[in-house]
Amino acid sequence: MADTSIGGDVGDASPEPLEDEGRRLTTSLSTSCLAVLMAIVLGGLIMLMSGENPLTAYTAMVDGAFGSEFALGETLSRAAPLAIVGYGTAVALRAGLITIGAQGQVVAGAIGALVTAQLFESGPSAVAIPAAALGGALFGMAWVLIPALLRAHFNVNEILSTLLFTEFAALLIEYLLNNPLKPPTAITPQSDPYPDNGILGLIIDGTRFHAGVFVAVAIGLLFVWWVRSDRGFSYDLYGENPSLAQSLGISGNRVIINSLLISGATAGLVGWIQAAGLLQRVYVQIASDIGFFGLVVAFLGGATPGGVLVAALLFGALQSGGLAMQSSEGIPASLSDIIQALLLLGFSIRYAPQIIRLTRGVMANFTLIGKRRK
Amino acid sequence: MTSEPGADPATGTPLSVRGVSRRFGSVQALANVDFTLEAGEIHALVGENGAGKSTLAKIVAGSIRSDSGSMSLFGQPYRPTSRREGAAAGVAHVRQQLSLVRGLTVAQNLQLGRPGAPAIFNAASARAEVERWSDEFSLSVPAETLVDDMPLAVRQQAEILIAVAWGARLLILDEPSSALGPLETKALIALCHRLRSEGTPILYISHRLPELAELADRLTVLRAGRVVVEGADVRAADLREVATLMIGDVSLLEVNRPEIERGTTRLTVTDLSVSSTQEIGCHGLNFEVAGGEILGVVGIAGNGQDSLAKALTGQAKLASGHVVVDGEDISGSARQAIAAGVAHLHEDRSTGLAAAFTVADNATARHVRSGRFTRFGVRLADKIARHAGELVERFQVRPPDPAARASSLSGGNQQKLMAARELEKNPTVLVAHGPTKGLDPEAAKAMRDRCFAAAQAGGAVVVISADLDEVSDLAHRVVVLYRGRVTDAFPIEDMTSERLGAAMAGLTETMEAASG
Repeated sequence: MADTSIGGDVGDASPEPLEDEGRRLTTSLSTSCLAVLMAIVLGGLIMLMSGENPLTAYTAMVDGAFGSEFALGETLSRAAPLAIVGYGTAVALRAGLITIGAQGQVVAGAIGALVTAQLFESGPSAVAIPAAALGGALFGMAWVLIPALLRAHFNVNEILSTLLFTEFAALLIEYLLNNPLKPPTAITPQSDPYPDNGILGLIIDGTRFHAGVFVAVAIGLLFVWWVRSDRGFSYDLYGENPSLAQSLGISGNRVIINSLLISGATAGLVGWIQAAGLLQRVYVQIASDIGFFGLVVAFLGGATPGGVLVAALLFGALQSGGLAMQSSEGIPASLSDIIQALLLLGFSIRYAPQIIRLTRGVMANFTLIGKRRK
Repeated sequence: MTSEPGADPATGTPLSVRGVSRRFGSVQALANVDFTLEAGEIHALVGENGAGKSTLAKIVAGSIRSDSGSMSLFGQPYRPTSRREGAAAGVAHVRQQLSLVRGLTVAQNLQLGRPGAPAIFNAASARAEVERWSDEFSLSVPAETLVDDMPLAVRQQAEILIAVAWGARLLILDEPSSALGPLETKALIALCHRLRSEGTPILYISHRLPELAELADRLTVLRAGRVVVEGADVRAADLREVATLMIGDVSLLEVNRPEIERGTTRLTVTDLSVSSTQEIGCHGLNFEVAGGEILGVVGIAGNGQDSLAKALTGQAKLASGHVVVDGEDISGSARQAIAAGVAHLHEDRSTGLAAAFTVADNATARHVRSGRFTRFGVRLADKIARHAGELVERFQVRPPDPAARASSLSGGNQQKLMAARELEKNPTVLVAHGPTKGLDPEAAKAMRDRCFAAAQAGGAVVVISADLDEVSDLAHRVVVLYRGRVTDAFPIEDMTSERLGAAMAGLTETMEAASG
């Protein structure tokens, strides 16, 4: 007989540990470390196969990620947005929600920040900068509002809806940068330069270490507070056992909407940082892959403050180190991409049972449709 | 599956277990167990919860392996390493929690994962096969209804039917009657006898003795992982003595109902209706429960009990009606229910606890968002652990370690942990849903005492249960639920199994006809 249940019998008082149906997405970090190790070893093997010396490559990578002031600045400037998205995604993840829409929310946030900054173009920086940050956060929230409402009120799977909204964002920015936001002189789709009074300055000249890193630190501290707070606990409780949480008076709808809005706001902030700090203009590719890697960072870090930080630094280092490796040793940076992909693979194995369960949830939506057709 | 040529099922003892042991962590679940299932018999394996019955069943089915010992199946050495292997050898294990895919029909389930099934699903032939088997055993299992839409008893029949269709040579039924009413249990017994006459030996696991006299040929008693009686003739056995052997300390089974003074009405339910997509909901319920009174709500599982429990604890949106506690309407607000002092022992410990959280977090979860144990919104771990430590001590949760994960506790201790959370203060209303279900005698007694204590402290207690013993042990008064309506209500002294059976099966005229 097809054995579809995941574990033992719940009603059975035998001394086996109860089935861990409710095991959080966020339990142990050790398996995450194992995934990292596996990626490094397999990555090394692949380098050997392609005729590169893994030791040289890894040395160049580490050097390119941490070896100089410039390298460190590069790593941190790449890690900061990943960490911010990671923290926001982690709030949702802890509440049992898988939002994969950060990519679109970053785009929306960048547009929001730019439009707001343009409104405050003539004001003092002390007004323009926070206003643009708020604009970015609000646009990010707006971008997840509909999926959040659909999930809360109609139980529409948030994975599907947030992914769809990412597509909307991609199309929207394409339109905006080709039409209303495009300066008449521009040939490629892009916006006007970001208003000067709203620019997030570089902290250390000659590096890309910009003020966005401090935003990441601030968000990190807020996340630490969240994890230890009573409200954060109630969200965690909902993520672990929704029906229990509701029986204790916690409103499920509020948890769903708020945690998704929080994740949207943080992704929106990243859009602001990208536009105001790094690129100082809005491009179609403004989000690069930050949204998706931020999600990976949240998962890989076990949705804990320390874990997310480490994972963000790791990916920041891999990205900056990979580029440095290419320029110093001529080893293609795509090897660093391969390692990142291996990390993803390792992480998906680690979360296989949860992913299968989620897929089943998604499939249930289709079954419902099938039922009606019958 | 077709039986392999050369392996004649008639030769050899169907199942012989010799010296099987299994340990889980520090607990010896099975110790040197010998057991023999003879051809053409229904062999009852009895014992209290935690005695090791299910562990033995899982070892025989192949889902888990023994640490030592050996088995043989129809004379052949048998050492399954997976449930699939066990099934291929002809062992079918029908568990308490059925394993049919709920979103598929019976016919689809029949073919799903079936050894040797064709790659392309043939709906017509699968349907015909289900119907053929259903006729053969005089059942009415629908071939093309979604499993989700079938009552539990029919699901169970479908699972047994599929096991037989797959060529099971030996059937293990694990607590099959635990969720059935009297009439459904009768039908199950008839099906077992039918299977026996067709030559399929059955290992029947239960902790309910009374039904065995009618059902089984021999019985084996397990206590704390050891065989204390092996293969006794059921007809010759003294069931009282068997009970003693099962439990060791019979005093745990004695129920000393305390004298409880009846107070004024604390819980009033008027015209209560809940519509639910998941279950049957409830329709037009009216009842009152006084302080010090224990009301039993009985019915076959799935007849609106979940909706009622949720409505009484403010968790369900009401389609109509009111739930009033001490004059305050708590309808549809879990927060208000908690503020009014309503406590809820969830039916299923896996939904009633946060399994991955610590004992401390679980024990104090009722205080979440109350501002207690927090400063600047941050939870004070020391205070929480200290308070939880006191609760765990008071409710005798073992081990009394606030930092342990709830999932690491045994079922009985999980139930005590849930009680610690819900009954920290004397409740105004206690909704106890299957409070002793699946517990060992010691924990069951502790839970009964908690219910009595809540009533003695002036609380109104509602015990919702499909277990008639549990209700007759606890309740002063009984209402019977059938399809979400009350079909009968009477004081406990008037309870007879005929009256109850008829009401649970919906044969009694609906007393409170739904107005809407």
